[in-house]
Amino acid sequence: MFQPISVISKRIFKQNRGRNLVAVLAIVMTTLMFTTLFVLSQSMSKNIIEMTFRQTGYDAQASFKSITEEQAGMIAAHPEVAETGNSIVAGLAEDRRVSGRQVEMRWADESYARHTFSMPVTGRMPETEEEIALDTLVLDRLGVAHEPGAQVTIDWIADLETKEVQTSTFTLCGFWEANESSYASMAWVSREFVRKAVDSAGGAAPGRMAGIHMAQVNLYSDRDIEGSMDRILADVGLEGLEYNVNLAYSPEMNYMAAQESVPMYLGMALVFVAGYLIIYNIFQISVTADIQFYGKLKTLGTTKKQLQKLIYMQAGRLCIIGIPIGILLGYLLGAVLVPVLISFQAGSVSVNPVIFIGSALFAGLTVLVSCMRPARLAAKVSPMEALRCSDVDKIRKGRKKRQGNASLAALAWSNLGRNRKRTVTVICSLTLGLTLMSCFYAKNAAFDMEKYLSGLTIADYQIDEASNEAYMTGYDPQGNTLNKELVELVESMDGLESVGHLYSHETKLALNEKTVENIRDFYTKEMLTSWASYDAAGVEAMQKALDRRQASSVIYGADGIVLDVYGREEYWENGSFDAELFATGEYVLAIGPGMEPGIQEQAMPTVGVGEKVELEGREYTVMAVLNTLSPVTEGAYEGGPQDNFYLEFIMPAETFRERWPENTLRKLYFNVSDENIEEAQEILDGYFKNTGLTLAVTSRKSMTEQYDRETRSGAVMGNVVSIVIALVGVLNFINSMVTAIVSRKKEFAMIQSVGMTKTQLCKLLVFEGLDYAGLTLLVTYILSTLAVGIGVRAMVAGGYTTFRFTLLPLVVCTPMLIAFAVLLPYLCFKNLEKDSLVERLRAIA
Amino acid sequence: MEAIVKATGLKKYYGEGETLVKALDGVDLEIERGKFTAIIGTSGSGKSTLLNMLGGLDVPGEGSVRIGGQELARLNAEQATIFRRKQIGFIFQNYNLIPVLTVWENIIFPISLDGRKPDQKFIMEVVKLLGLENKLDRLPNQLSGGQQQRVAIARALATKPAIILADEPTGNLDSETSGDVISLLRMTSEQFHQTIVMITHNPDIAACADRIIRIEDGRIVE
Repeated sequence: MFQPISVISKRIFKQNRGRNLVAVLAIVMTTLMFTTLFVLSQSMSKNIIEMTFRQTGYDAQASFKSITEEQAGMIAAHPEVAETGNSIVAGLAEDRRVSGRQVEMRWADESYARHTFSMPVTGRMPETEEEIALDTLVLDRLGVAHEPGAQVTIDWIADLETKEVQTSTFTLCGFWEANESSYASMAWVSREFVRKAVDSAGGAAPGRMAGIHMAQVNLYSDRDIEGSMDRILADVGLEGLEYNVNLAYSPEMNYMAAQESVPMYLGMALVFVAGYLIIYNIFQISVTADIQFYGKLKTLGTTKKQLQKLIYMQAGRLCIIGIPIGILLGYLLGAVLVPVLISFQAGSVSVNPVIFIGSALFAGLTVLVSCMRPARLAAKVSPMEALRCSDVDKIRKGRKKRQGNASLAALAWSNLGRNRKRTVTVICSLTLGLTLMSCFYAKNAAFDMEKYLSGLTIADYQIDEASNEAYMTGYDPQGNTLNKELVELVESMDGLESVGHLYSHETKLALNEKTVENIRDFYTKEMLTSWASYDAAGVEAMQKALDRRQASSVIYGADGIVLDVYGREEYWENGSFDAELFATGEYVLAIGPGMEPGIQEQAMPTVGVGEKVELEGREYTVMAVLNTLSPVTEGAYEGGPQDNFYLEFIMPAETFRERWPENTLRKLYFNVSDENIEEAQEILDGYFKNTGLTLAVTSRKSMTEQYDRETRSGAVMGNVVSIVIALVGVLNFINSMVTAIVSRKKEFAMIQSVGMTKTQLCKLLVFEGLDYAGLTLLVTYILSTLAVGIGVRAMVAGGYTTFRFTLLPLVVCTPMLIAFAVLLPYLCFKNLEKDSLVERLRAIA
Repeated sequence: MEAIVKATGLKKYYGEGETLVKALDGVDLEIERGKFTAIIGTSGSGKSTLLNMLGGLDVPGEGSVRIGGQELARLNAEQATIFRRKQIGFIFQNYNLIPVLTVWENIIFPISLDGRKPDQKFIMEVVKLLGLENKLDRLPNQLSGGQQQRVAIARALATKPAIILADEPTGNLDSETSGDVISLLRMTSEQFHQTIVMITHNPDIAACADRIIRIEDGRIVE
């Protein structure tokens, strides 16, 4: 049967090629943005979860640090358990080539290896005693080729107490890409090797690593892991067996992943607005142009609903073309951006159907909402009006006749006012994109790298003793990796500006009443609760220390850069620093908790200013309490993982050296002149290459690079969104200009016939374009000034930023917009001119 | 004879004060069923306004229009539209054919809008009478003016409306074609007992009608 509405819809669709092209482009861009944002948000949360798995080192739900094989077997047999993995420790590598990285020599079954991101990808797990499987990071450090069959010799220890070093030679049987998010690497050996290691160590015993049996439990469900585990343990009669729930499964992780997506949702809202502004405008223009046609349909008996259907069917057709293209392009763009945005390894692009369904729905919704008003306009058309209507909103009543000459500029200006709705839509559309661009730029420009770096590093370069990061085996105060040879090398570098040394020593510390009071007063109940939520052992250790009146202490000996930097007022929390007095050696500086910069009113939770503190039999006066200084304090304790409460102090390096002459350098800081920065890195690289030693080097440059990597996501996203929205605005501008000119063909022919010259008409059009651009720029400058001056200023307050007022992107866009405004009308006019005046006059008769 | 259209006290004023235009100034009118009536008047006499009101396209300032017993003012916009497509056929000066539809599709357009099946036999009869049987697959822009107007006549007849309103149906045609179109209109009126009201400013054309109503300055001056 003849379906008049769909037939008409189909046929007029074919006639509106120009409009369709613009509309499809707009829909493609809108869908593209939605898809890209969906891909990014999905991939981000997926990768954040993946990253937390990699950071915790495994993706099973729960793990046992120590269990017997029988117990593990009993748990594995429980119906709620999907899979268990087992591993037995032989020891830790104690090899200077892998210093700073914990390499665990263990046997494991395949399940355990797979769930610890350590399943050999090339080759296989070890089977015989002389086989070993390693990750690429360890292979590189050891200088072993990535080839099964290669010989590997490792120094290792089985006992943390005796630290007796053994040397073993293996054949590489498999390797995999290292999990760099974790601090430890696995070195898989055979079960036979582990058995012999345990035997030779004298069997499993407390404090001895060899023989520790570990297990991981994979459950079918991620919900209430703790409850499930307790139930399973109770069922098999192992109540009270200590286990850990994988942190990556905690609800906070999901919350964090969701939070990471908030900017994406904001971006989607903006895309919706931008999409609405253009698609609405396209349809509004199209319906206005065809209003007589709709009026005709109405006289012939087409109802409102049928007219609306006619509009929606055309929109639907445009969507059918535009949305799939948009999704495809958006997905590709997303796939390109994901690796750029996700700063850690193994970032993968999500293929969650939510992306495709969601983008299609959102894009469809945008189109639908955009068509609502135009559809209503078409439906509302009165058959009478349709016969008169033209490209004008409404005839304004009571408008006074303008006096004076009808100059071209004035005529152009009044032409702009003839269709206010369209003018407003186009200006909004352009303004949105440009203002966003200004805001993103100003926000990024406000970032102050110096401020950011000052929290992370105090010198151009910082070199740490290898055991500084030996969190398992502990810091060695007499370590010799940061040795005289290296220090001399550094101190003889060209362009060296300043140097700083840091030594450390751990000891016991008796707490006096005043100090205990300081600590108790400082930590309110709320603070303790929030501290306990992530570090219950730390709170417990502090309480114990307060009860016993005894804590542990790290004493730092520092000079040069360290004192230069921390002598500055911004680091003082209580008291003040006096370099001369400090140099006498009678004083120490206490390190307080991390607070907002500035002198604090209350006493910090440590020994108070002016109080005496006794450090290994000698008394010092506390001169000041400083803010927490992570470039100084970051590192391992001497005994490895500790549950002690520490108070930390700094004394002059000279005084320190006199008291503990056997302690070696822990950290070396140095500044070089700008032109020697690169050279210094080369010298260090050369040294490490020659000696086969790898020490952690923190440089301003590497920190800057790391920052860029981490924040690239926000920056790229912001820029992509605002650029596409600005592009949509430009498309809207082009579309409006072009259709406005084309639909006024007859009007132009008429004013030409009464004597306006071509040049004058062309000028008129250019004036109109300039008025558009001028209005847009005016609005944009005002809005951007407000948005940047108030919004961005407030947003970047605090943190590592220094607000600077800038509208650079606008300044760059201004000439471009003006060029467009002149060029477009000119080109349109040239095109129009092809038809003769008479032809044009007749055309619409 | 029974009156199919009954208009009483129709008034329509535009503007106010000095610029007040009385397009219709108290028109009473009855149109008899099955008759071909011509309304004649000069440009600006109010004849088009009257026709638009009879067709429910325009709303009178005062007075009422009844068609086949239905008071038009009682219908809301949507009901008026539906009433129009069922009960009123329009023939316009500029034909008002839908350019994207073929001749056949144009003819059955109002019926299809209603979701009804066209009466093939009857429509083919009309088509043959109007000499359009070879043009059914053409698009309007492939036809001459006279042919286009014949399509419009066929479209108006196809729904078997209570009344056909023709607004200067020959206004865009040369005199020879005009004559053809008018005689066709006249013939269909007789053949199908179709009530037709036609507006014209041309007395020669009006002369073909059963009855002539003269309108001047918004009033009937018979």
